[in-house]
Amino acid sequence: MPTAAPGVNVSLAHASDLLFTWTVLVYAVAMFGYSVEFAFARIARSRGDQAGRPEQIGRVAVGLTVVGWLLHLGSVVTRGAAAGRVPWGNMYEFSTMVALVAVTVYLVLLLRQPVRFLGAFVMTPVVLYLGLAGTVLYAPAAPLQPILNSYWIKIHVVAAITASGAFMVSGVITLLYLTRTWLDRRASMGPGTAAAVEYHGFARWLPSAERLDRLAYKVIGFAFPVWTFAIIAGAIWAKYAWSRYWGWDPKETWSFITWVAYAAYLHARATAGWRGRRAAVLSLVGFGCLMVDYYVVNTVISGLHSYAGVN
Amino acid sequence: MTETLTDETATQALSTAPQGTQPVASRNRVRSLWRSLTSMRTALLLLSLLALAAVPGTLLPQRGLNPVKVDVFFTAHPSLAPFLDKLSLFDVFAAPWFAAIYLLLFVSLIGCLFPRIRLHARALRRKPPAAPKRLERLAIHDTWDADGDAQAVVANARESLRRQRWRTTELREEPGGAWSVGAEKGYLRETGNLVFHVALVVLLTGIALGGLFGYKGTVLVTDGGSFSDVPSSYDVFTPARLGSESALPPFAFTLRKFTASYQPNGVPKSFHAYVDYRSTPDAPSRPYDVTTNRPLSIAGTDVYLVGHGYAVHIQVRDKSGRLVYDKATPFLPDDAMFTSHGVVKVPDGLPRQLGLTGFFYPTYEPTPFGAQSSYPGPAAPVLTLAAWQGDLGLTSGRPQSVYSLPVASLKNIGTKTIGPGQTWKLADGTTVTFAGVSQWATFQIAHDPGSTVVLVAAVFIVCGLLSSLWVRRRRMWVRAVPLDNAGGVRRTVVSAGGLARTDADGFATEFESLLRRMKD
Repeated sequence: MPTAAPGVNVSLAHASDLLFTWTVLVYAVAMFGYSVEFAFARIARSRGDQAGRPEQIGRVAVGLTVVGWLLHLGSVVTRGAAAGRVPWGNMYEFSTMVALVAVTVYLVLLLRQPVRFLGAFVMTPVVLYLGLAGTVLYAPAAPLQPILNSYWIKIHVVAAITASGAFMVSGVITLLYLTRTWLDRRASMGPGTAAAVEYHGFARWLPSAERLDRLAYKVIGFAFPVWTFAIIAGAIWAKYAWSRYWGWDPKETWSFITWVAYAAYLHARATAGWRGRRAAVLSLVGFGCLMVDYYVVNTVISGLHSYAGVN
Repeated sequence: MTETLTDETATQALSTAPQGTQPVASRNRVRSLWRSLTSMRTALLLLSLLALAAVPGTLLPQRGLNPVKVDVFFTAHPSLAPFLDKLSLFDVFAAPWFAAIYLLLFVSLIGCLFPRIRLHARALRRKPPAAPKRLERLAIHDTWDADGDAQAVVANARESLRRQRWRTTELREEPGGAWSVGAEKGYLRETGNLVFHVALVVLLTGIALGGLFGYKGTVLVTDGGSFSDVPSSYDVFTPARLGSESALPPFAFTLRKFTASYQPNGVPKSFHAYVDYRSTPDAPSRPYDVTTNRPLSIAGTDVYLVGHGYAVHIQVRDKSGRLVYDKATPFLPDDAMFTSHGVVKVPDGLPRQLGLTGFFYPTYEPTPFGAQSSYPGPAAPVLTLAAWQGDLGLTSGRPQSVYSLPVASLKNIGTKTIGPGQTWKLADGTTVTFAGVSQWATFQIAHDPGSTVVLVAAVFIVCGLLSSLWVRRRRMWVRAVPLDNAGGVRRTVVSAGGLARTDADGFATEFESLLRRMKD
């Protein structure tokens, strides 16, 4: 470990790193559990058996997700306490927070609707994302740069993190939606074909395309206003920090492009001929723009938002 | 119409999307062009184009962000750059084609808004539609038996709907002694949608207002120095495109002291510029601490701290000891540790004009490759100077930077490294004293008369968006049909049906809880 910056509580920073490692491990096991349920419940059902045991594994995976979420929360809180500030000052911390929000959104959805099928598909990118955060993006706890020293970091960045985590979940649901519509179309080629037989196994597991579409819309309907608010809060902060509310800095521009892409998705959903698959593709384009906004802009394009802490 | 309302047409009626375009005679081209411009499909296309058009602005260097990088690109790609420049690709966000896209988008939006505002205003005044004939055909429906007479049952249902803030129709008597009521809720969805889009137009107006009537400038002020808000006292000034400068009397401020603090590794911790300002020449002087994220606001104009550096106080005396130069000269920083360079020009008072070029190191550290500063704070300040004699060219009439010296036409008469308080004696008896170090700060002064409009519009944008995405519009109908009177007890068959365009799952739950209230 590199030497800690002054003002950093070393033992807390260490605890945070340890909790982070455990979080990734527990999440990985949960992801495995969900996958087992997904694979075997499908097979069992397609044979006409009861899917009892795989479903138990799925329930255990939910329990593990909750445990992982608590460890995750602990890691974030100790990180903030170690550095004596909000725990979202560089890209490692930011990515960790986005993953935390994604898991939170999944758990909240799970409280309201039977969406355990999402487990494997949400946990996989979360584990990959955390793996990336913990290795490539890792930066030791340190105080903030003076320009970040504003209460707007709480408002602007929390909104951006919340929207991103939710967009991540909506992206996963949209991918499942596209898979489902693809399967539906293949199966419609004719009964008795191999595709149609395979379809019956898979389709019994995935909810209907319509339900997936509605679910994705619901999550984006939550994320989009939050993202709008994040951009506006950023503009207000920019007015205080950089003397103008908007300046087409690369980060601002990509946030705007992301916003426009999701706005296009919302319009497409209300336009005949664009509803469904085309709208879904637009929302994935929006998610792609969001990823460019965080990763390409922070590491490749230089601008005013150079706080990544990655060299 | 409502008598034959099917699920399909009811859904159509609930849609917040504009209705399909009617066939237009081909001769009426303007009208048809207008219709297609204001269609959702065009909006979708223009939105996609807008997103796409912004991309090159982040991949190529932009003049508005960093003109130096644009020059570097021109040097690196001498044949490609002029071509890209012709396409305004170095000023994407001020390019005519970029403006064309968003202006078309806004024209399309405004064209779409007017009819929808009219429609919504009409819908707000109208009663909800009456019950369709067959409620059991609706996606969500239920039927149950109730005691009491049909009219009373429906009146009860209407009352419980009204208590849940539904808009309802009057009770309606139907053939066969049946009674029905219609209800609707969630008008805020379309209201929010319209508020959001109108606020977008207002936002653009605010941006335009700032672009046309706003001005900005930067100025460097040394510790103890002053600034007055008139165009001539700026170092760089971008005037308003329309209208002259502010009609208000100019404000002024004095930089009492600038301080910066750093972490041991040189990373900055804080910056403070302590100023005394007067909002008008006659106003009393007030202190203010201008720092990062905390500009000084005076009557709609904001003063930001945007940069800092060191000013080196140098005194020059002739050989008789008479003081001919006594000033703190700003040196410009070259790196994060504030190794700085600067120039001193002494045109008068000496037998020959004298120029000094120098490097200032706030924390001097000699290395095998030359000197450098190892910390941005003034822990061990050192000044290295080179002296030049000859014609400084100040009378040539050509504009000259205060940070450079035409050394090619001058004669070098020595170099020296000195610390604070030390004096360097030149061969002709002239002495140069490093009298001390102070700091300077650069301020950006910006006036944007549109920013309040933009902020208010932004608040409405978020509120409008929330209600247009989170409120769902739904309709509900209740009908009661009297049963044949069997044992002297009045029995009624009640049926209810509901319709929600979005979030049918959520509505199903709401529908059930509404029915539970009615059945109680």
